[in-house]
Amino acid sequence: MTHAVLCEGLWKTYQRHRPVGVKSLLLGAGPPVDTRFAREWALAEVGFQVPCGRSFGVIGANGSGKTTLLSILLGTVQEDRGRVGLNGNVASLLELGAGFHGDLTGRENVFLYGSILGMRLAEIRRRFEDIAGYSELEGAMDQPLRTYSAGMIARLGFSTIIHSAADILLIDEVLAVGDARFQVKCHQALHDFRKRGGTLVIVSHNMKEVSEVCDEGICLDLGRVVDSGPMPAVAARYQERMTVAGPAKGGARAAR
Amino acid sequence: MPRVERSPRQLAEFLYLLTRQELKARYKGRLLGYVWALAHTFALAFVYWIAFKIIMGLEVTNYSVYLVAGMFPWVWLAVGVTSATRSFVVNAPLIKEMGLAHAILPLSNVMQEMAHFVLALPAIIAWVVLPGGYDASLSWLWQIPLMLLVQLAFVYPIALGCALANAYVRDIEYFLGIGFPLLFFATPMVYPISIVPEPLHDYFELNPLHALMQSWRSVFMEGSLDPAHVAYVAGWALALAAVAWLLYRKLAPRVGEVV
Repeated sequence: MTHAVLCEGLWKTYQRHRPVGVKSLLLGAGPPVDTRFAREWALAEVGFQVPCGRSFGVIGANGSGKTTLLSILLGTVQEDRGRVGLNGNVASLLELGAGFHGDLTGRENVFLYGSILGMRLAEIRRRFEDIAGYSELEGAMDQPLRTYSAGMIARLGFSTIIHSAADILLIDEVLAVGDARFQVKCHQALHDFRKRGGTLVIVSHNMKEVSEVCDEGICLDLGRVVDSGPMPAVAARYQERMTVAGPAKGGARAAR
Repeated sequence: MPRVERSPRQLAEFLYLLTRQELKARYKGRLLGYVWALAHTFALAFVYWIAFKIIMGLEVTNYSVYLVAGMFPWVWLAVGVTSATRSFVVNAPLIKEMGLAHAILPLSNVMQEMAHFVLALPAIIAWVVLPGGYDASLSWLWQIPLMLLVQLAFVYPIALGCALANAYVRDIEYFLGIGFPLLFFATPMVYPISIVPEPLHDYFELNPLHALMQSWRSVFMEGSLDPAHVAYVAGWALALAAVAWLLYRKLAPRVGEVV
């Protein structure tokens, strides 16, 4: 079977790359930091594979490395060690309204965002009516985006991305903003997307949702894979750990 | 590096959309729109005209044309580089969330300022011909496009290098805020190079910005172009492009982690 996403032995630490000021440049950065003990790794020895047309969930407490993992898949963050293999075009829905410009109209934003996602101009023109229709925002398409609510922006972003030519979608907990009816529509669209052979990687804290949408998944803790397997089972064991033991050491991690 | 596959054609379309939408966004909700950009540069030229011609009594033939012909390309250079320097930081969501081709972002800023300059050409030419009394020249038809290309090739590597550096060291944008006014007066912009005293004169000639600005002025005022000046700027552009390319290879992969 062909794999859409393949990760092997991913390691990542953020210790060594920080913005510096002129002072440290001129006076030297002090003794070199010993990275062996710098902190936990943001990711340590993470590996998994997702076959084409499947849906993969990533769960874990805040700060466990989920977003870092997606960023590495997307290519915006460099892995220190390990290998990432992707079979197809990647698009991401990581942050609400990223790539959108408040002063531009909904229509102009669809064109800009579509282009960011790698669509050709002719393609966006051809699909524009579909995108607008799917988002149900036809009436607001010529209004500036700053007049949109968070839910409307999520609709516009999702509609554009689902009409783009991506083969692999990375989604980071942004679908929860839409109203109930649009969420149903989203799930239907993601289902259709997978039927067409598309692959999903979803990060979420909503255990019910990931259990429904994802076939398999992993649970991260402090950058390590602590559990993997069929998604409903992974989610259930995670929930059990979180409620029985409470959040583990490291107080900033919220229990869900 | 971003893992979204893009053809050169798709990148060109993206550059076009980004530049056009940014320009649109900038002038939305402003009644006078583009007139503000013209007014700003003409007002600057007017201030220097008062200060140096009227008050200091500087003797330069057609001083107002000399100022205007240099000021517009300078604004393209200075504002283009300054805004491009912030482009990675300002567009952090695009870089982090979208895996965007980095080099396009500062290029878009430089293109926006170039678009301003091109849109200002009728006003510059009107100023040169009407109050200036110079004849419109047919040779502008090739000289102006050539100079546009030369300046774009000169400015873009600087913009890209500054933007990359600024992603890691945020001081660059403040440094430029001081650097460009200093450079402005170190380049013969409000005075002719002929009045620079002898020991300094040769050093002033080495300044590529002087060759660039002098080329624009001689195009507008005489319809002529000194090949030596153009070649000198083009040589600098090539050297800067090599430096920018090395910087890009070294710094771009981690930009997503530092902005």
